Amino acid sequence: MKSEIFRFRIMAIIAGVMSLLLWFVDIPVAYFINNGEWKEKVAWIPFVHGWIYFVYVITAIQFATKARWPIMKMFGLILAGTLPIASLIAERRIVRRYS
Amino acid sequence: MRQPKSKNLGSRIAAALAVLLLASIFFSLGIWQLDRAAALKASLVTATTVDQNIVSLESIASANTSLTPNALNRQVKVSGRYIANFKAPNQPDATGKLDDWEVSLLQVGSSGGILVVRGLWSERLLNSGIEQPMVIDVVGQLHARQDGDRADNSPGVISRLDSAVIVGITDIDLFDGYILAVREGHNGDEFLRTRVSAEKLVSRIPGFYWQHLSYVVIWWLMAGVVLYLPFYRRKVAL
Repeated sequence: MKSEIFRFRIMAIIAGVMSLLLWFVDIPVAYFINNGEWKEKVAWIPFVHGWIYFVYVITAIQFATKARWPIMKMFGLILAGTLPIASLIAERRIVRRYS
Repeated sequence: MRQPKSKNLGSRIAAALAVLLLASIFFSLGIWQLDRAAALKASLVTATTVDQNIVSLESIASANTSLTPNALNRQVKVSGRYIANFKAPNQPDATGKLDDWEVSLLQVGSSGGILVVRGLWSERLLNSGIEQPMVIDVVGQLHARQDGDRADNSPGVISRLDSAVIVGITDIDLFDGYILAVREGHNGDEFLRTRVSAEKLVSRIPGFYWQHLSYVVIWWLMAGVVLYLPFYRRKVAL
C-alpha cells in the first residue's frame, strides 16, 4: 500500500501542476489571445498533460483498488486530475488518511 | 447475507455494459483524433503546394465565409475598384525581411470586398494614375488571414492582413484572407512595380500531426485500461 500511495502522490503533484499550466496558460493563449507565436510556444502543454494524466489515472486506479474504494469514489479521484488544484487536494487528503 | 443470484447477475451485466460504453467512447475519441491527424496532413499538402492554374476568386471563395483548405494559396484573378488604401507595417517576405506593404481594399461586384497586397509602401506613388472609378484586373495568390498583429491599428494602418480589422470601417461584405498581387492592370495595361513575395506557407489547422497521433494512443490506452479494470479489481480482491 505504501508504494501505491507514493506513486499516486508523485503523479497527483505533477498532474496538478500540469492542470494549472493547461487551464491558466495554454487555454487562455490558445483561445483568448490572438498570437500565433505564443500558441506555438505553449503547444507542448496539452501534449505533455495528456501523457501525465494517463499515468495519473493508472496510479489512481491502483491506489483506489488497493484501498478498496467503491467505483464512484475511484471515478472522482480520476476526475480530480482534470481540474486545477483538485488532484493536489486529493493528494493531501490521502496522505492525511493513509500515512 | 448473500445477495440473490438474479440481482448479482443484473448488476454484473450493468457493470459490463458501463465498461463497454466507456471503452467505446474512448475508442471513438481515438478515431476522432486519427481523423484530425489525417485532415492536418492533407491540409499541409494543400498549404505548401501551389496550384499554378489561375481561377476566378468567386469560383473558390465567397464573402463572409472562411476560406476552405482547397482555396488556400490558389492563383486567382478578380476585377474591381480600389476603394480604400492601407499601410501594413512590419510584414515579412519569403526571406524574412520586414517591410511596410501597401494594401488596398478591392470592391468586387456591388457588395463584396477583399484585401489586396499591391507592393511596397515606399512605391505607392508609382502608379498615381489609378483612380477610384477605374476597374482594376488583379492576378495574385490567395492567402489565409494573418493571426498575429504586426503593429497597432490606427487610421490608414492595419495591424495585420485580415479583413476582420477593417470590418468597422466598411459596410461591404468582406472575403476571408487576402490576395498577394503578382499583376495589376487596367484595360490590358499592366501597372509595373515591385511585387512582394509571400512568407513561408504553413498549415491553417491548429496543432501538430504528432500531437494528434499521440492523443490517439492515449485515448486507446484509456479504453484498454477501462476494459482491464474489472479484471484488475477482481485480481486484487482475491
